[in-house]
Amino acid sequence: MNAIETMNLTKRFGNLIAVDHVSFNVKWNEIFGFLGPNGAGKTTTINMLITLMKPTEGEAFVADYNVVENPEEVRKRIGVVFQDPTLDRHLTGWENLWIHGRIYGIPKRELKIRIKEFLEFVELDNWANVQVKNYSGGMMRRLEIARALICNPEILFLDEPTLGLDPQTRVKIWDYIVKLKKEMGVTIFLTTHYMEEAEKLCDKVAIIDYGKIISMGTVNELKHSIGGEVVYIKTNDANYLAILASKIESEGFAEKTKIICNEILAVYTKKASETIPMIFDVAQKLKIKVAEITYHIPTLEDVFLKFTGRRLRDEKVDFFEHFRMSRMRRWRK
Amino acid sequence: MTSFLTAVYIMWYRQIKRFLRMKSRVITAIIQPLFWMVFFGLGWAGMFRGQISKSFFGGSFLAFLTPGVVMISVSTISFMSGVSVIWDKEFGFLKEVLVAPASRSAIIFGRALGDSTVAVMQGLIVLLLSIVFYPNLNVTFLPIALVSMILTALTLTSIGISIGSKMSSMEGFQLINTLIFMPTIFLSGAFIPLASMPNWMKTLTLINPLTYGVDATRNALTGVGFLPLTIDLLLLSIFSIFFLGLSALIFKRTTIG
Repeated sequence: MNAIETMNLTKRFGNLIAVDHVSFNVKWNEIFGFLGPNGAGKTTTINMLITLMKPTEGEAFVADYNVVENPEEVRKRIGVVFQDPTLDRHLTGWENLWIHGRIYGIPKRELKIRIKEFLEFVELDNWANVQVKNYSGGMMRRLEIARALICNPEILFLDEPTLGLDPQTRVKIWDYIVKLKKEMGVTIFLTTHYMEEAEKLCDKVAIIDYGKIISMGTVNELKHSIGGEVVYIKTNDANYLAILASKIESEGFAEKTKIICNEILAVYTKKASETIPMIFDVAQKLKIKVAEITYHIPTLEDVFLKFTGRRLRDEKVDFFEHFRMSRMRRWRK
Repeated sequence: MTSFLTAVYIMWYRQIKRFLRMKSRVITAIIQPLFWMVFFGLGWAGMFRGQISKSFFGGSFLAFLTPGVVMISVSTISFMSGVSVIWDKEFGFLKEVLVAPASRSAIIFGRALGDSTVAVMQGLIVLLLSIVFYPNLNVTFLPIALVSMILTALTLTSIGISIGSKMSSMEGFQLINTLIFMPTIFLSGAFIPLASMPNWMKTLTLINPLTYGVDATRNALTGVGFLPLTIDLLLLSIFSIFFLGLSALIFKRTTIG
């Protein structure tokens, strides 16, 4: 059996369908990521897997146990870090871990040793006796990771583990997650809307949108599904995009085109450096002026764009600016 | 599965720790009843003397009021347990408890016990301070007063927790506080002798658990009561078991989202 298996898992809230017949498997000792925009149904899926919500339809098995029939058995084997902090702010970090460990039935002596060990793991040993309300957001998240590990879970659920954290803290938490898998053999299911996070951490990614899995595979498989490279074109008048697209397709030097957000044309091609001059030729013949053009090796964001025609994050940053920025980030590393 | 008693104990521990951290709450809970004693009690005491005092208050107005004030401080803190459930929802701690592999009844029982402990401790402090104003209380019956305080606290924390589990906002709880808790106080006989109430009001007091808490404590500390002590304690026990069971039932069904 796999660590997690779902078959047509579905959750409806009234008429609204939050998770729509989702089926996937997570292998043991794998980091599996749910990548999708806010409101895609990621948290609802997690809530069903950790037995906080009952599915409307379909089945889910976590650590070989049915989440509806054996919630107690599931709870014994999982650790959860929720999207929003769930710490008792009036208690110290140590006390939070103590209460958690005791509720999970760990014997006192063993618990003391584990608390020490995991506080050191997340580098909070100096903060053990400080009330949590004085912690920073990143420290709270680290304490929650330590807390989720106290009961030796086989599977760890992380809902947006680095949401709202600064870049340094984010990198630190990524390090912990990778270490957990490699050194402790924990299976990890995480959700994120940061494509960098999914690319960096996940062995396998499911891209989810409007409650449906639209594509699933390893990061490389997903990128290859685009086939080569992507060229993004912006023209002076967006009305010409469709004409340009059909011409490019009929000339046959690109595999596929797609208009995104009614303003940008994406051209999927084997070799962008050769395709770009041809695009200019076609545009010139049609008397269409190219305003901006860019190309790159696909990221998961491009995969998301291809399948949904929308961006992963609805930031108000200019489209081209967005790519320039993300590329600069990559160079800096 | 964590043992039932461990889960009860750890939730009790948490509620106590948490309360002790909030110094302002500790101070408020002691000062407020003292204000009742001083401003309300001493203020009226001059008016109710002689025959009035005998026929309405069983001797002395302060003797009548002291157990009432003690029980009001116990029940106010007990009822506030509902607020802590809502806070836990707001700050997410409730979720953490809901996924734990521990019996929900144990968790709710531990909570109720923790908040009751706090309430009874405060009630005792208020009682000891009240002796300053009214030294003639029957201290030998303190253990019985204590039993009555514990049963009342358990009843009201259970009610508070049940309501808190159903509510999603602090504002909602404020409304309940006004709609349910205020009448509970006024219809308990803490301030107003039951004997002098109109009949319809008297009927209402009989379905109010706090009535029996106040009456039992008054019986114990002053020797005067509306009902016999044994009946008070019996009814209080029934109320506390009923509401504890109810809160466990409601909490078991609590889900998020």
